[in-house]
Amino acid sequence: MSRFLEVEGMTAGYGAVTVLRNISLYVDHGENVGLFGPNGHGKTTLLRTLSGLMRAAMGKVRFDGQDISRARPWEIVGLGMVQAQQGNTLFGEMEIAETLELAAFNRRAREKAAANLDRIYTLFPRLAERKRQKAKTLSGGERQMLSIGAALMCAPRLLLLDEPTLGLSPRLKEELAEALRAISQDVPLVVVEQDVELLLALSNRLYLIEHGEVQREIGKDNAPDHQEIMDMYFGEHA
Amino acid sequence: MDTLISTLLSGVVLGALYALMASGLSLVWTTLGVFNFAHGALMTIGAFVAWTVSEAVGLGLPAGVVAGVASAALLGVVVEYLLIRPFYGRPNMLLITVMTTLAGMIILEKGAQMIWGARLKQLPRLIDGEVSIFGAVISAHEALIIVVAPLILLALWQFTTRTYLGRSLRAVGQNQDAAALLGINVSFTFALAFGLGAALAGLTGVLLGGIRFITPSLGAEPLVKAMIVVIFGGLGSLGATVGAAFVIGLAEAFLVLTLGLYWTPFALFLGLIAVLIFRPNGLFGRV
Repeated sequence: MSRFLEVEGMTAGYGAVTVLRNISLYVDHGENVGLFGPNGHGKTTLLRTLSGLMRAAMGKVRFDGQDISRARPWEIVGLGMVQAQQGNTLFGEMEIAETLELAAFNRRAREKAAANLDRIYTLFPRLAERKRQKAKTLSGGERQMLSIGAALMCAPRLLLLDEPTLGLSPRLKEELAEALRAISQDVPLVVVEQDVELLLALSNRLYLIEHGEVQREIGKDNAPDHQEIMDMYFGEHA
Repeated sequence: MDTLISTLLSGVVLGALYALMASGLSLVWTTLGVFNFAHGALMTIGAFVAWTVSEAVGLGLPAGVVAGVASAALLGVVVEYLLIRPFYGRPNMLLITVMTTLAGMIILEKGAQMIWGARLKQLPRLIDGEVSIFGAVISAHEALIIVVAPLILLALWQFTTRTYLGRSLRAVGQNQDAAALLGINVSFTFALAFGLGAALAGLTGVLLGGIRFITPSLGAEPLVKAMIVVIFGGLGSLGATVGAAFVIGLAEAFLVLTLGLYWTPFALFLGLIAVLIFRPNGLFGRV
């Protein structure tokens, strides 16, 4: 059986600047995968390329057996791979409820819209309390919740999350981690995070992305301890 | 008293026409961030096609109205495809599209002149007869404009706030990447916005064609008025655009009454400049 998501030798960048070099990774059916590494080393670019916002210069992406290397973002969402962007304001002038309803845009999602909406309001009661509030008036944490909520409304079969806990207070972070665990019960996740402990708790395997390359693959059996993680981020002599 | 009421009424008729025209312009601006200078020419084409189908071919006015609006919409999509789409994502896209849509305006106007000639044409009125309102008399056609325009705009507002497709227009206008990541086909949305805007222009042309003579430059003056309305109201919101349309329409009617036809455009632009000095985001725009 083929892999759920498979990236093969992907090279991508902005104009003359190459950000990703020959990236290969995969996500199997039924597993969550984490991506981590220093800032500015290509994790967000990787997610943008997977979602079709950018086009890879080289390499192949297959999702559920289909080649999506040249697919447009909305086609990829239609197939079921959905990304929640980091710190995204979505649509500043739109209310929470309206944004979530709109997000069930693809045909598959519309059938499940009512059920998904209930589930999101249960996961994130803050969103339910602020239904009629415009997105631009929300706090950072609430925006993050809205971004994840909107992605869930797309009825994802694989959910890509870009730094969901970035800039959140420890309490909010715990709340969000709890929600992510609940989400991962029925939607497999690919999570970009700085917090490796959170990633290890959430996912089966981790990829360390550095200088636009996969530097290391980490499974349950070779999980690094705290000192090792610090070394990966800051170099051996930090 | 009669003069006052009939001036008021003609102001409302103008306001209704400007609202239709300007909301199409505003729809394109909010969704694509493009100022479509060909908007007036699309209106002209709509009026000409309606005339051809209704008068020259003789299929009747209803068929003419449908053909006029549909052809303007179709042409709008073509304009988007040929003159706007190649330049998406360019950092200076706004400037480029000012030039390409200006070129589009010239091509469409000259094209209309080649096809239909410079001789004046006129559409019959949508309904015959006259209506008396508080002692002032206007044609039933104008009364129909007063009724139809708000209904169309109400439908447009419902469309953009209640339906998936309409909401996707607003979403794309506010954040293209985020909209694409929610599964919205951004290119289709652009074409839709352009088509809808052009349909509104075509409808304005058909309605105006029953009041004024149709010439290749029919759309030039309404385009300028629509631009004043959109800027005056504050770019971006449908409500502000419609409000501004009626303010401008009424102001124009009373200025024509008091200052005369010659000085009215001058006074309107002076008003626009004054508004922009004190409220740079427009009369109803957020500061």
